[in-house]
Amino acid sequence: MMLSPIEVTLVKSLEVGVEYPLAQAAKLSGMSKDAVLKAAHLLQEKGFAEVISKTEREYFLTEEGDDYLERGLPEQRLYELLKKGEDEVDDLKNKLGREFGIALGWLRKKGIVEVEGKLIKLKKEAEFEERIILRKIKESSEVPETKLKELLKRKLVSFNERKDIFVKIIKKPETELKEVIKDLTQELLISGEWKGREFLRYDVKIPSKVIYTAKFHPYERIVRECRKIFLEMGFTEIKGNFVQSSFWNFDALFQPQDHPARDMQDTFYLDEYMELEENYVRKVRETHLNGWVTGSTGWGGSWSLDTAKKLVLRTHTTAITIHHLANNPEPPVKAFCIDRVYRRESIDATHLPEFDQLEGVVLDKDVGFRHLLGLLREFFLKMGFEDVRFRPGYFPYTEPSVEPEVYVEGLGWIELGGAGVFRKEVTEPLGIKGKVLAWGLGMGRLAMLRLGMKDLRKLYQPDIGWLREIPAIRK
Amino acid sequence: MPVITLYWDELERMVGVERERILERLPMLGCDIERVEEDYIDVEFFPNRPDLYSVEGVARALRGFLDVEPGLKEYSVKDADWKIEVAESVLEVRPRIIGCVVKNIKVDDEIIRSLMQIQEDLHWTIGRNRRKMAIGVHDLSKVYFPLRYEGVTSDFSFVPLDYDEVMTVEEILSKHPKGVEYAFILEGKDRFPMIIDSKNEAISFPPIINAEKTRVTEKTTDLFIDVTGFDENVDKALNILASMFFDRGGEIQSVEIVYPDRRERTPNLNPREFSVKKEEVYGLLGLRLSDNEIVKAFERMRYGVEVKADSFKVKVPAYRADIMHSWDLIEDIAIGFGYDRIEPVYPETNTIGLTHPWFEYRDLAREIMLGLGFLEVITFTLTNEKHQYDYMNRKAKPWEDFVPLQHPLTEDHTILRTSILPSLLEVLSLNKHHPLPQKIFEVGDVVVGKLNRLKVSAVITHSKANFSEIRSVVQAFMKEIGFEWEAEETEGTKDGAFIPGRGADVIVAEKKVGSFGEIHPEVLERFDLTTPVVGLEVDLSALFDTGELI
Repeated sequence: MMLSPIEVTLVKSLEVGVEYPLAQAAKLSGMSKDAVLKAAHLLQEKGFAEVISKTEREYFLTEEGDDYLERGLPEQRLYELLKKGEDEVDDLKNKLGREFGIALGWLRKKGIVEVEGKLIKLKKEAEFEERIILRKIKESSEVPETKLKELLKRKLVSFNERKDIFVKIIKKPETELKEVIKDLTQELLISGEWKGREFLRYDVKIPSKVIYTAKFHPYERIVRECRKIFLEMGFTEIKGNFVQSSFWNFDALFQPQDHPARDMQDTFYLDEYMELEENYVRKVRETHLNGWVTGSTGWGGSWSLDTAKKLVLRTHTTAITIHHLANNPEPPVKAFCIDRVYRRESIDATHLPEFDQLEGVVLDKDVGFRHLLGLLREFFLKMGFEDVRFRPGYFPYTEPSVEPEVYVEGLGWIELGGAGVFRKEVTEPLGIKGKVLAWGLGMGRLAMLRLGMKDLRKLYQPDIGWLREIPAIRK
Repeated sequence: MPVITLYWDELERMVGVERERILERLPMLGCDIERVEEDYIDVEFFPNRPDLYSVEGVARALRGFLDVEPGLKEYSVKDADWKIEVAESVLEVRPRIIGCVVKNIKVDDEIIRSLMQIQEDLHWTIGRNRRKMAIGVHDLSKVYFPLRYEGVTSDFSFVPLDYDEVMTVEEILSKHPKGVEYAFILEGKDRFPMIIDSKNEAISFPPIINAEKTRVTEKTTDLFIDVTGFDENVDKALNILASMFFDRGGEIQSVEIVYPDRRERTPNLNPREFSVKKEEVYGLLGLRLSDNEIVKAFERMRYGVEVKADSFKVKVPAYRADIMHSWDLIEDIAIGFGYDRIEPVYPETNTIGLTHPWFEYRDLAREIMLGLGFLEVITFTLTNEKHQYDYMNRKAKPWEDFVPLQHPLTEDHTILRTSILPSLLEVLSLNKHHPLPQKIFEVGDVVVGKLNRLKVSAVITHSKANFSEIRSVVQAFMKEIGFEWEAEETEGTKDGAFIPGRGADVIVAEKKVGSFGEIHPEVLERFDLTTPVVGLEVDLSALFDTGELI
């Protein structure tokens, strides 16, 4: 038989057959009332104890009862008047007032009087023990239940109920009382004392204290997934500084110097300038002005070196991919970049001044637009988007340009990033040999789809509650 | 990008195709449909296609794209005697003016609506907010030719549009709503562009405002259009407008411009010729289309095309302002053929995947911090000097240490961070309502002297957080990344972020690579934190070769 330490303590502390009030049992066992009760219930299940719950009534007089105790019950008072020989109904009515009816009613009910016309006739002697009982109650003396019935009915007496719990040990366990093991300690293990003993059984259904997992940010798991896809597809990971020259952020990508995207309204500039590689600058400048040897008309107008040298917080990761291609102009090159970019935008649910972009480029001789579509389809398929379609798009540095859309259950077709083949005006001045297939997308959009988020701010303004709650598994 | 409102009754009538088909195919021409209503649709067109900023232009493109009227449309211009003389005085300010006359056009609500829309969008896109190009449209019957285009002084006066009294140039620029809005374009000039008719009355003050007297009304049947600016952008705009009125049934008449040293006649609506090599088409598209397919695609996009042995001779309509290179035409082949009809093929380009050391070390640090029981957070790299330095009892210099933004948008974001620790304290401050203990970390970028560095930072907060707890973390972290290190007490004056005697620098090979300790209560108070915080920050770029940064 398995007894827990509290059960053992209780059994040892109490005599068999005695009903102990809870408080007394607690005192004797040295345990709290709660622990005694828990132990007693456990013992009761095993047939060693009984938990007795007694409901005690505490009687007391109502206001009316108090009044009758003092003045006597109305019927008693009527009886005493009758005894004195007064028998005229009208006289008695005057003397007893409102209580006359009650008094007469009770005397008639008990067969003590009869009414004959305007006279009340006393028929027999009577005893009134009610008043004695009222007194007894007032004095908190013991009164048999049966005698209270009438008084309760007449609302002369009322009561409060009090529940008392008693613990009684019915019998002591026959075997020697041996404690079950609660905590398996080093001592028990070393000494071997645990052998032959039982372990306290726990209620496995009770939830335990909440603890929180140390885990990666859910967004980083999406980044990891994208990196994995690129690496599986044989791409080289690249990384660049946040601070770039306007040249690599804009000019090298054939963005005219008066392009609205270059306005200080939309771009974070720094009041500093960076020296540029002369060889690139000359060709890019020519291309902007008149197309150089690229076969383009160019943008015409003028081109300022200072504008190109001006520092900027990169507005897209293309500033990095194009520089990487300029450094590695011989095909084949496959490179990707997932990193932070900046836009001069006010913060709201869908706009942030900084966010991450994903970008991939493929440089090769015999690749074209169709292969770009193939790359996009494969990439999105690996991302878990089975349906991909393509619409014409526009980006200043690609031609043809395309806007891929993926089908998302419940949302329909969602535009996810942009893509295109880098223009000759971009590749030729930098000496890039071959065609460049490029695509990119904002990671925020992806995160919103994946994490079911409505507000992008949540990504970069961490709410520890949300991070703790959101499960690690990809839904 | 401009959003154009297209009314169904006009569009269906002009295209000759019912709306369901238009709605289905329009996106494949290159646009985003923003809103579909019973009476109209709002469509966002790309900035490279200003010719689509009017219902006339969209209808023209769709008639080709939906095979109603494929191929080049001829636009004719009738030579006439309209003349503008350009004075020397205006060449410094706004040197180019061109124009055309439109005859026999019924100016109704439809045309006015369309004209106002395209004028505004052209001003914004090609015109760069009227700086590079501005358009004026006049009732021809109120304009007395020949015109003079000259630079006047600021006391020159006329009645501007929407006013009934004479105003000087100076008054217009300071009082007239349009004058106030566009005065920036003429800032610092002492001469102002003015188009003056033979009655010696101004008809337009480009790029600001027209004169009231040439206002276009529903009684107008003939128009004069002027376009001013600097370069070929004015031609792009005029060609688009002239083509639009031609499509409406107007007769386009040319205007002669007489410069001090030369003459020109505008508009020129003759198509430009481009040669597109067949090999170039196959190569760029990665697709060997037949001559016939290519011709058909060109014609759907409203080009004239002639097949040569190795190339296509393509006639590009005058309204197509975007064609700079033969690749622009090849894109149109792809669009005309249909992006949805091109079968995607995965390229055979064979390369080996390679990670960048930066992200390898970043992941290593993240893994260790996770193992030490920290929750990962991500924060902005944009911050401000107050949080980064003042709050932290630290000091730093612009450029040497941090990068300041030239035109910050808000006080919160004025610099790029050089340290992650303050960002984490901010996170704790925003999360005080969540149960303790809180242990968070970030491994990310900071920018020191214009260059990115990789740092790891972590903080712990609970009622008993103390120095030995964070020292244990630093010990474990440094052991995992394989560095022998020493702790050197931070002097309060050097780094006030920590409580004196409870803050330390992490020293590796006699060089400081990080710091840790109990955050000073002054710092906690500023971040509105009310439980003890301990933190660490280690510069991984100082310990590892994190690879080439572009």
